[in-house]
Amino acid sequence: MKEILRIIIGLTISCLVAAVVMGSVFAITDRAKKHNEHVKVQETMLGLLGYGKANPPPSELRFATIYRYILNENGNIRLGYMLPVFENGRETFEFMIVTPDGDFVEKLPLKIEPDAASEGPERETALKSALKRSTIFSFADSSIVALKGKDRIAYLLPSEFPGFKTFVKVMLALDARFSVIGLEIMEHEEDPGLGAEIAQPYFKNQFKGKAFDRLKELKVVKEPLPDEYKLALEGKALGKGAVSREEVDALRQKYQGKDIFAITGATISSRAVTDGVINAAKKFSYRLKALEKVIAAQQIAVAF
Amino acid sequence: MKARKKTNSQLFFNGILKENPIFRLALSMCPAVGISTSVMNGILLGVAVLFVQVFSSCTISAIKNYIHPRIRIPTYTLTIATWVTVIDLMLAAFVPAAYKEMGIFVKLIVAFAIITMRLETFACKNPVGPSFWDGVGMGLGFTFGMVALGLVRELLGMGTILGYDVLGFRPLLFFVLPAAGFFCVGLMMAVFNYMEIVYNRRRKAL
Repeated sequence: MKEILRIIIGLTISCLVAAVVMGSVFAITDRAKKHNEHVKVQETMLGLLGYGKANPPPSELRFATIYRYILNENGNIRLGYMLPVFENGRETFEFMIVTPDGDFVEKLPLKIEPDAASEGPERETALKSALKRSTIFSFADSSIVALKGKDRIAYLLPSEFPGFKTFVKVMLALDARFSVIGLEIMEHEEDPGLGAEIAQPYFKNQFKGKAFDRLKELKVVKEPLPDEYKLALEGKALGKGAVSREEVDALRQKYQGKDIFAITGATISSRAVTDGVINAAKKFSYRLKALEKVIAAQQIAVAF
Repeated sequence: MKARKKTNSQLFFNGILKENPIFRLALSMCPAVGISTSVMNGILLGVAVLFVQVFSSCTISAIKNYIHPRIRIPTYTLTIATWVTVIDLMLAAFVPAAYKEMGIFVKLIVAFAIITMRLETFACKNPVGPSFWDGVGMGLGFTFGMVALGLVRELLGMGTILGYDVLGFRPLLFFVLPAAGFFCVGLMMAVFNYMEIVYNRRRKAL
């Protein structure tokens, strides 16, 4: 009996010590970690649009984010869109509730600063004070509209889907006609050397330039990736001096109509990413069209 | 091998050659087979293991007198998991550039046999100093093994070393697939065993 007690106490204490250590490290690092993630997302967004250190973004470039929520109003399922709007020249947010079929229900003003809107908990408090008590809401996803002045240049869609092991988080960039501008893998835990290759240029760049109609029917083929295509995807052919930028573009053009070549030894991961991208693009285009119809009918001065 | 006290430098080289985790102790074969597809993977995983091994070894040897013998294995796992979490969070917060490369490798380590094994056979019987050197030796030995495997597999499979094109063509794509990992590990083990035989014969002859 005494033995068992000693074991129990010993194990409990070890667990507690471990918990305290991990907890305090988390408390110390949480802020810096979030900041790093924020910076990474910003860099990825600019990178997908082709801006970077060598090519700084123009000053008129701005991002407007739409946050989508799923609401449950006493058993009725509704969609809630948190829309950036212009009000007296200032940017603020408005919450619009629609039915799943896209019919307008109501529109509520939100008390939230544009800077604070990127923080989930801040949005939650703003929504809690705006919505009825009985309404249950949960965050679904966000879509970012990149604008240059008043023109939409791209849609950036943070998206998440199951990979081979756990969730894969990506950022998909579509142009105004929903063709793929680029794909960036943000976070994944696939196997190094196999599934982790999804983050390599030779895989993720295969999506680049696929038109929306082509994208909808995109498949994964288990064929070896042609060497010239691989070099073009990696942009390596450029460095050797033998191939010019035009030739790389021509090569990419040549394979534009092709399906996605699976990664050797990681067909499941390749398929998961391809399906995830197709899904994200399809759903977004459908939702955006429905949303724009309501916005036009309600004459909301949206900031995108 | 027991009873005899080893000096720190002996402990250090012990992990690299005589008791190399991959080729001699045959521990942590999953990563050895699965991840050693390129030299870079080998280095990153090796460095991650080195840190976790050293920290865990030191921690366990410092608290070994307070661990009840019947719960030592859970305690080892707990210690390793704690260090992995701490390193993971620290990297993510303060060295984001390194985290981008090493993030997925660090998270894998919790389940590595080599670390638990060294805690069980060495750290829980020895003071902190030797445990530290044993950890360093084992970590470097693991890195050495991974890099050696990665070199062979990357060169034969992709025709590159560290991502740079060396051969200009891909001799055998088969080598980057998991199955080839077993072949490479087996062949390397054979080389190590042969070296030992030769070494022992020479010593006898002297």
